[in-house]
Amino acid sequence: MKSNFSLSRKALMAFTAVVALILAGPAAFAQGLSKGKVLDSKGEAIVGASVYVPGTTTGVVTDVDGNFELRVAPGTTLEVSCIGYITKRVNAAANMTVTLEDDSLLLEEAVAVGYGTMKKSDVTGAMVSVGSEELTERPTNNVFEALQGRAAGVDIRSNDRPGEVGAVYIRGQRSLTASSTPLYVVDGIPMMSGSIENLNPQDIESIEVLKDASATAIYGSRGANGVVLVTTKKGTKGEMHISYAGSFTYETIKDKCTWMTAGEYIDWRRTAYYNLDPKNYPSPSAPTQDNDYKIFNGGGDPYAWRNIMKGWAGGTWNGNNVETTDWMGLILKPSITHEHTISASGGSDKFQAYMSLGYLSNEGTIHGQDYQRFTAKSSNDFQPYKWLSLGASINATYSIQNYGLSGTGNFQGGSQSSAYGVATQGYPYAVPFDDEGNRIEFPGGDDRVKNVYGEWDLQKDLRKTFRAVGSFYTQLNFGEMWAPLKGLSFRVNFGPDFRFFDQGVYVSKKSFNRAGSNYALNNKRMDISWTLDELLYYNREFGKHSVGVTLLHSADSYDRRTMNMDAENLPIEEALWNNMGSVSALRSYGTGLTQKQMESYMARINYSYDNRYMITASVRRDGASQLAEGHKWATFPSVALGWRIDQEPWMQSAQWINQLKLRAGWGITGNAAVDPYSTKGAIVSLFYPYGSNVTEGYTLYDAMHSNRDARNLAMANESLTWEKTMQYNVGVDFNFFNGRIAGVIDGYKSYTSDLLMNQSLPAILGYTRTLSNIGKTENIGVDITLNLVPVRTQDWEWTIDINAAWTKNKITELTSGEDDLNNNWFIGYSIGSVYGYQSAGIWQTSQQAEMDKFNANGNHFEAGMAHPVDQNGDYKIDANYDRVILGCTMPRWTFGFNTSLSYKNWTLDVQLYGRFKFLSGSDAPWVGGRYNVRKYDYWTETNTGAKYTKPIFSEAGADQYYQTVDNWMDRSYLKIRNISLGYNFPKAMLRNTGVSAARIYVQARNLGSIFNGSEVRDMDTGNTYYNRGFTFGVNVTF
Amino acid sequence: MKMHKYILPGLLAVAMIVPVSCNKAFLKEELTTSRNTDYFKTNEGLDQLVVGLYSYLRYYHCSEAGYSFLNYGTDEYSVGADNSNGMWNDYNASLTPTGGVVNSNTVNAGSFWDYMYTGINTANTMIARIEDGTYTGANANVNAGVAYFIRGLHYYNLLTQFGGVPIKTEPSTSVSFEFERASKAEVFDLIESDFTAAFNKLPDTASKIGEITKSAAAHFLAKAYLWRASEQNDDWNNSTKAADLDKVITNAEYVIARHKLADNFVDLWDYTKPDGPNELLPEVVLAAQFTGPTTATWNVGGALYFYTCSQYRDLPGMFRDVPGGREYNRLRTTTYSIYQYDLVNDSRVWKTFRTKMTMNNVKGAASLGYTAGKDLGLMYLFNQPGDDRFEGVRHNDAMKNNINELDHNSKVGTTFVFFPKGTVREDAPMDKVANNDGRKYFPMNTKYVDGSRESIADSHCFRDGIIARSVEDYFFKAEAQLRKGDYAGATATLNVVRDRAAWKAGEDREEHRDGGQSWDGTTGAQAPGVSSYCNRSSYYESNNLALGSLNAQASSLHLNGPINVVANLPAEDQWIVKKLGVSGDKDVALCFLLNEKSREMSLELVRWVDLARTKTLVSRVKAFNEDAAGNIQDRHLLRPIPQQFLNVLQKDGRALTADEKQAMQNPGY
Repeated sequence: MKSNFSLSRKALMAFTAVVALILAGPAAFAQGLSKGKVLDSKGEAIVGASVYVPGTTTGVVTDVDGNFELRVAPGTTLEVSCIGYITKRVNAAANMTVTLEDDSLLLEEAVAVGYGTMKKSDVTGAMVSVGSEELTERPTNNVFEALQGRAAGVDIRSNDRPGEVGAVYIRGQRSLTASSTPLYVVDGIPMMSGSIENLNPQDIESIEVLKDASATAIYGSRGANGVVLVTTKKGTKGEMHISYAGSFTYETIKDKCTWMTAGEYIDWRRTAYYNLDPKNYPSPSAPTQDNDYKIFNGGGDPYAWRNIMKGWAGGTWNGNNVETTDWMGLILKPSITHEHTISASGGSDKFQAYMSLGYLSNEGTIHGQDYQRFTAKSSNDFQPYKWLSLGASINATYSIQNYGLSGTGNFQGGSQSSAYGVATQGYPYAVPFDDEGNRIEFPGGDDRVKNVYGEWDLQKDLRKTFRAVGSFYTQLNFGEMWAPLKGLSFRVNFGPDFRFFDQGVYVSKKSFNRAGSNYALNNKRMDISWTLDELLYYNREFGKHSVGVTLLHSADSYDRRTMNMDAENLPIEEALWNNMGSVSALRSYGTGLTQKQMESYMARINYSYDNRYMITASVRRDGASQLAEGHKWATFPSVALGWRIDQEPWMQSAQWINQLKLRAGWGITGNAAVDPYSTKGAIVSLFYPYGSNVTEGYTLYDAMHSNRDARNLAMANESLTWEKTMQYNVGVDFNFFNGRIAGVIDGYKSYTSDLLMNQSLPAILGYTRTLSNIGKTENIGVDITLNLVPVRTQDWEWTIDINAAWTKNKITELTSGEDDLNNNWFIGYSIGSVYGYQSAGIWQTSQQAEMDKFNANGNHFEAGMAHPVDQNGDYKIDANYDRVILGCTMPRWTFGFNTSLSYKNWTLDVQLYGRFKFLSGSDAPWVGGRYNVRKYDYWTETNTGAKYTKPIFSEAGADQYYQTVDNWMDRSYLKIRNISLGYNFPKAMLRNTGVSAARIYVQARNLGSIFNGSEVRDMDTGNTYYNRGFTFGVNVTF
Repeated sequence: MKMHKYILPGLLAVAMIVPVSCNKAFLKEELTTSRNTDYFKTNEGLDQLVVGLYSYLRYYHCSEAGYSFLNYGTDEYSVGADNSNGMWNDYNASLTPTGGVVNSNTVNAGSFWDYMYTGINTANTMIARIEDGTYTGANANVNAGVAYFIRGLHYYNLLTQFGGVPIKTEPSTSVSFEFERASKAEVFDLIESDFTAAFNKLPDTASKIGEITKSAAAHFLAKAYLWRASEQNDDWNNSTKAADLDKVITNAEYVIARHKLADNFVDLWDYTKPDGPNELLPEVVLAAQFTGPTTATWNVGGALYFYTCSQYRDLPGMFRDVPGGREYNRLRTTTYSIYQYDLVNDSRVWKTFRTKMTMNNVKGAASLGYTAGKDLGLMYLFNQPGDDRFEGVRHNDAMKNNINELDHNSKVGTTFVFFPKGTVREDAPMDKVANNDGRKYFPMNTKYVDGSRESIADSHCFRDGIIARSVEDYFFKAEAQLRKGDYAGATATLNVVRDRAAWKAGEDREEHRDGGQSWDGTTGAQAPGVSSYCNRSSYYESNNLALGSLNAQASSLHLNGPINVVANLPAEDQWIVKKLGVSGDKDVALCFLLNEKSREMSLELVRWVDLARTKTLVSRVKAFNEDAAGNIQDRHLLRPIPQQFLNVLQKDGRALTADEKQAMQNPGY
């Protein structure tokens, strides 16, 4: 895309300028002086344009302001040229201005297509490319955030926890249990030990997302979920550039809910008790102190009770006198995120280098959560001989994440994995500290509601990751050795990927998640994987015929080693998890090893005739170790056609059409995302003591085992094979009126077969599930990208980029031939279907006769309780007859909208992001009364029109259908992701500062939603809360 | 100069191509870090599979399913403050084939069902490998015996909970979806043949602690025959009943002859350390083995201790400690459980339930004017209706008058009185108070208390869980005798149990011992030696007797007339007979036997099946389990067949229709 190009264009121009100066310098001799300026169509100076006398070596190159001076006779023909512009011949004059038109053909960038690059106009598959400028336009914690809303058909969820990334789906979900994660390929190396969360967005040159099977099939068994190709920055020929990019972001948490005041909560809990037993508890409208003592566990926490008694001051109840504790306020803090990247790039004919250092620090908006990341990138490319090129690129990352409350080491049952969640449960009438200022452990005296204050000191979950991804290559160009072999080259890529993860958890005995003893855990994990590709290329043009052949042999290896231990009652608290030897016996410990290998062969042919007709065909054969013997290998073919209509002679008169291309493709891809050893029939190791004689033994399956893997054991399937997706894609690329209206529209349909699924089994077999290839799904969808430029004048430009995707899937076949209710899989319905009770609202007092009929059949309904629909009308709500398919949780539409308005050096950007038409669960708060919940509209005898059911005090569930209310509603949303204002310093202003370009900007993040299907949740993060903030950033190039 | 033009590229080309060539082994997957099912085709593997089979014995004492299916919803226990599995007690609308999920601790019918069948598949594997001759080692008989025993036990559990269930006796190597429920009789035949095979193959005496022996098989044969001869099977057991009762007696006597009763009831529960003397008593026929810290890391411990633990930490001067336990508050002792005892003469109630706890919060106690380690934090008074000493159930230091401990010069922080002034037995005021007070205060059963745990929060307990003890064989024998009409014989058999339960001369009636005494004196304590464990009971306070006044005497529980005559029964039983409206020789005798069994075996995970098979569940629950009284119906004598099982079943290659599923379901669900 244009932004992507601009960087390399600058570099090329600079390079040309240097070369031209070297060549032209000695040859210049005095004639008349021509002074001039070279401008582009927008009136911007072109740096490094060459101004020559054709056929001679006489010439110069324009300076940073586009000026040149040349001693030639006036009227001499000058050729003015620059890469990316149409070369122009003009007559020399004393004072002249030359305007060069863009060369739309040359402007085209080369895009990565997997095992090579292609001119974008030649691409036959469906893909989308995002350049570095778009990725770094706003500060982001990781590449996924940067990519969100930028590419049609790429759905990225948000995760607000510092250092965490959201889920990514390309063209929706098609697999039921196998992974839906796309394949990430960084500089040609497929990632096996993680994704690309470690990369600094500033180091990325471009991201290409391959969507349809004709494009992804060259990655064969791993292409089914789409392929994300990441090209990191490399050194460029020409003078050295040093750049700095930095930003500061201020964020705070916004909560979409309002929470009850102490008085409101007291009222609500009294109501819950009254509803439990109206004989023993008075109506909340006539409370008594004695009952309050029971209801609020007055003996449990004298400080909380004293606060309640403030409401009784004067003898009558006034809830407003009870002070409200803002538990959430105790854990929140404003967060500053700052990131800095400094990079250097430069090179000569034979050597180019790029390196960068980056630092990101995100303080987090919740106490105890923060994230720091150090990134380093180094790339070196050598061309010692014309026939030989070598290069190495290394991305290294070290990150330190304070995860915050994680639930690890939890002993409470009902683990709390977020401090915010713990805080919301806190009783608003209870206080965090006693009179001496000591922390009260159980404010309110309920042993499940612990004081969240100070939790960040009581529980540490420190996660450190070091990752280094390398990409090394050597390429021999045989054509440079022996002319008849022109176009033939051989390349070896080697990509090692190393990831080391260390997690240390320490939970003090005072933590929410502990009771009476401390706990420490240390997990270490080391992933080492490598990819070795041997590639033979043959690319040659014969007249109007252009042929490209790629042959590949590839091997991948993956090796993961894990080590874990945990202990309780550590004598030295300060040692955290660093001295496990201080306990007499560990609680548990273990080591593990997982290995998998893959071997592949691939052949691809590109043929194009006269730049008009293109065909790409490929076939790949993959073998994977984790599949069953005899089922390890599979073949993945693809073919795609392209027709550049704009190149047809009969189209040349339509000047307004800059580009019009039709594409059609077909391909088969696979998904072998099966855990290694799934076909092996693992058994469970255990120990049983005869008296105190501990004896090792084995069993087939043990649902009670302390090891989760043993509890989740599946029956071995000795015939496990690939999940395959066949996809058709048709698309059109267009560019009209010099880019004023441009875009890409793709339609696709895919058929996935041999779905890898965890099939439910009758437990009589001794197992409750097995992984098998059963069933088929279908996906259909449309991806639309539109780039509009409604206004483009000398000073003003207004652009609108829209990307939208519509997708729909359904399960067409399950091997059993029947719906799988235990997994919510229904033939003819979408993946992610919801099967449950429909709501008929809330029972009202007037419906007593109706309720009695149900109650006679074993249901328990009262006025104010949820009223599920009795589908078969038998006056009994039961699982067999009354549940129906309510809809689907996968969004039908995903939508990104970016608009930019620029005036001279100012630019205003707005980005929107949304998902449409999907269901999400109940917003009904817990009605048991034991914990604090958000303020909501609940049913009482005087508020019968309430939205939600009445509270009934219960440790568990008194109204088991309460969640049917406001359940599985369409939660479509459109969110204002950010609004930013940027200023590019004019070149004139920067002259003599040593700075060649500078930009500053301010942004507002997550300002709110245009609409949101839930009143109380931000549907992007799925939580009631989200981060909102402002950023100030600066980019400088020296 | 010219040379390198060819040499270098040549070398490079060779160097680049050579290392990449792959060999066939590259894609071979080897699982080196763990064993796979092939291991069970070797002698070594099958000898280790036996250890795996033993591990299934631990399920009942360490899972929520154990108490939910075997003890909840009876007259003995109801729901405490934690309702995670309350539906199994309350028989409410959540007790469905899918089960209402309260939280992650909730178990549904499928939890129990699945576990039993996974054990069956493991046992099937062992049996098949021995029968087909794969196993050639020295332990063929013992290994097969254990497998037959486990399979028999699991089918017995399925049969008694669900009725007739699908039978599978071959190990599973491929998937199948078509299963039919077998009849009760067919399942019973398999159980009988499995326990009989186990009896024939197992050793007579254990060569290692915890080994399954002939006696264990005989015990379960007796149990199974008694099940078939019970009221629940009256529609099909006519032809086998007489013979079954004889077999009950034969098998029970086999066990009784080899496993003598402990001298004193408390010896069984006198836990001082893991694998200590109380766990090695001959009375223990079979126990799920748990031991000290080393194994705790490999499997969950016996959490039953916590499930029955009642609240104490929120009382003045108290905090949670190791001997006090974690208040999981699942099983609330009913008033029936306490008041079926002769509180003066029956020692078992004082040896079973915790009535006193010492104040252990040093700072907290001091601030309230108490002395931790000396004053009591909590006392339950088992007084009699008509006792006018106390007003109200709860006597809270902060709210009401203090009640002091008798003659120990100690004060008491909080006291709960079962029958305050003006209440009668029918009121069971403590049951009502429990309802209103968060259900969290009740005298807890201490049979599983473990002070040797590693920390306050540790959920691993090290005490063995008794699967069979020979006292139950006395009950089997007595029940068979009374069912045969031999009431005098039944009375004599039960008198053996009752005689042991009486106080011995010179026994300190106030002494209470439970596993809390195994505490090491420091773990989790605020001061050394200060814990909530109290080695006294409220015997003298409750009975309103002078301290120590009865210590010198023996007491007697001996029955002098046959138990089919109401007048011969102790007063407590007479009250229960009346309350239940029981009449007729057999039913009166059975009523007494069931009371006696509860007195002896409270919380030993036998109650639900005993009440269900004798069809006394509904009437006893209605009478004594207030939470469930309004809900229980006849259908609850069987559990619902799990919906997740019905959902995956097929018939002729297609899933079952809703009607077919309903037909396979137990009636009423």
